Amino acid sequence: MIQKILMKNEIGKFYIELAEDYNIFAPVNEKGSIVFKKILNSEDIVLDYFNSKVPPKEILFPKTEVLFNYTIDGKDIKIEDRDDLNEKNIIFGIRPCDAHGFMLLENFFGFGAVKDEIFLKKRKNTLLIGIGCNVPKSTCFCTSVEGHPFKKDDLDIFLVDLGEKFLLETINNNGESLVKKLTWLTDPKKGDIQQAKELSKKAEESFETKLDLSKIDKILDPNFNHPIWEEISEICIGCGTCSYLCPTCSCFDVIDETDQYNNRGRRIRIWDTCQSCLYTQHTSGHNPRGSCIERCRNRIMHKFSYYPENYNTLGCVGCGRCVQLCPVNNDLRTIINKINEIENKKEEKVVA
Amino acid sequence: MSLEAENQEIEDSMRNLARKLISEKEVDVVIGYSKGTIPMSVSPIMIKKVDDVDKLIWSNLCYVNLAKYLVPRIPQLIDPEKGNLKVGIVSKGCVGRALIHLAAENQINLENIKMIGIPCNGIINRKRIEKEIGEREILEVYTSGDQIVVKGKDFEEEFLYSEYINELCKKCKVKSPPIVNDYNESCIGDCQEIENIEEDFSDLDEFEAKSSKEKWDYIKETLETCTRCYACREACPMCYCNLCFVDQNKPVWFNKTTDLPDIIVFHLIRAMHLAGRCVACGACSSVCPMGIDLNLITRKLEKIVKERFNFTSGIDINSPPPMTSFSMKDNEEFMLEED
Repeated sequence: MIQKILMKNEIGKFYIELAEDYNIFAPVNEKGSIVFKKILNSEDIVLDYFNSKVPPKEILFPKTEVLFNYTIDGKDIKIEDRDDLNEKNIIFGIRPCDAHGFMLLENFFGFGAVKDEIFLKKRKNTLLIGIGCNVPKSTCFCTSVEGHPFKKDDLDIFLVDLGEKFLLETINNNGESLVKKLTWLTDPKKGDIQQAKELSKKAEESFETKLDLSKIDKILDPNFNHPIWEEISEICIGCGTCSYLCPTCSCFDVIDETDQYNNRGRRIRIWDTCQSCLYTQHTSGHNPRGSCIERCRNRIMHKFSYYPENYNTLGCVGCGRCVQLCPVNNDLRTIINKINEIENKKEEKVVA
Repeated sequence: MSLEAENQEIEDSMRNLARKLISEKEVDVVIGYSKGTIPMSVSPIMIKKVDDVDKLIWSNLCYVNLAKYLVPRIPQLIDPEKGNLKVGIVSKGCVGRALIHLAAENQINLENIKMIGIPCNGIINRKRIEKEIGEREILEVYTSGDQIVVKGKDFEEEFLYSEYINELCKKCKVKSPPIVNDYNESCIGDCQEIENIEEDFSDLDEFEAKSSKEKWDYIKETLETCTRCYACREACPMCYCNLCFVDQNKPVWFNKTTDLPDIIVFHLIRAMHLAGRCVACGACSSVCPMGIDLNLITRKLEKIVKERFNFTSGIDINSPPPMTSFSMKDNEEFMLEED
């Protein structure tokens, strides 16, 4: 592990040096919302922010992605190779929760025998430089889902915001070889390391939301048909806000667009959401998830029951985006508490 | 009267009416608003027991149009034996208008619906305030005097209420639900007799003064951050199609990508479908996670409909929406004559 100091006023220098070999993505302010964008001018980078509205998953798993273009010549179909997959990327300023989100996405895209080469290749060529959260939001709950505002292990390089400067720490070999090139970085003082430790502790203690997720998968499994789902989904209007802004939601739809006049076409993947009525619609017209009740249940089941079963970890990173932006304030934290209550009520009955 | 006193009065009378409706078994369920878990939000709630009536609240953040839960009826509002439950619905002016317009389009029957009419005093433009507060977390919001007070960990800011409500609310002429002649009984509480509305469209002056290119640029700039989560559509009480045109897949009618042309096609066609039907509740913009303001586009269409057909949606259950009816008197000067 290497520890260095990166002054905030040296971000420009940092950018210029790295931009030679990498596409740099970082948070910028776009029309009042923080979003991750490819940086063309280091002055656009915003360093004072909670988190981006749309998670940085969109850099490697965009809303709309052309998987390939093709041309048709008689009976010959020619698929054009994508040349962007080998480009090297750095995501600068990612929060620990979103970095953990990438780990969960890798589980999904790398699951089973048929792997998603496109996502995995891009992921392999991407370095994550994360910043710890000194001031988590009141809607954050990463500490309840095995996370931490200063969690480092999903990153290559970890930064702690010390005011005028960052304490920089390499987490693995990739991070180390990158930092070794930046010979101008100075060494930290003892006080800096101490300050970082204190900030981490303070951030951890500031969490207002503490959710009990220790038994949730065991409660969910036998309660698939519990009346609670009617209550949970009652006010849901069925939009895709929660899933589109979720750093771990990975569902997509694949469509072909053909331009028959010019003998060419493209295959595209776009984000899809289990909250949409079309998501599980069969060709026959039958829909096993016909109403909001089943769709809401699927979202919760997927994150807190199926995901732990398949990958042995929760499918939620506690970023709180769905909590902040649900149009009808159908708060995930309330939903989790309601689910926990199913078991508590049962226990009460047994005691009585 | 101060805003707090006004809101308190609305809340008290709303709770009393809801209590009466439930205890006298006039309705099975009351749909209203309850306190949200985050400061800039409220949460719709379905109340079935008298004991729960005090969960109902009224604040200037009640932006959801509750009529949405009736088209199509969510399964929770249908009893397997009794059929459609009788519903009481807390109705500000635009919720009332939505219900009346939906009845005019034969989507709901006002007979088993009771509007609990309230005189809405305007909904806070939460997206605008959130933008101005920027990267500071809002922890508390309330109205005081003529100000909206927004507090966070180490800041407190005031916003002039009359300025920071939705642009649509500033021009609203239907604060309470209109009384429907054939269904006098359907509205209790604060309702108003409305015949014809003199609309003030001066909020469109700035947009209309733009050149075609500037208008097009405005539309492109407004829509470009859309993620196509369809929160606008799902929050809109007038978007009740079983299958939206944009979801048609046998065959596919429109492309589904987030390329700008596809985004624009979705929003403009949706706006066209709302011409003469939009009830100006502003829910679409209030719920947009990306903070996109769709109101100007729908408002412009309302103006055109008003000018050409003298029609305002959601006032009269018996006058069919102009885009769904044909009259020999309709202007047709845009038709090209044969050579």
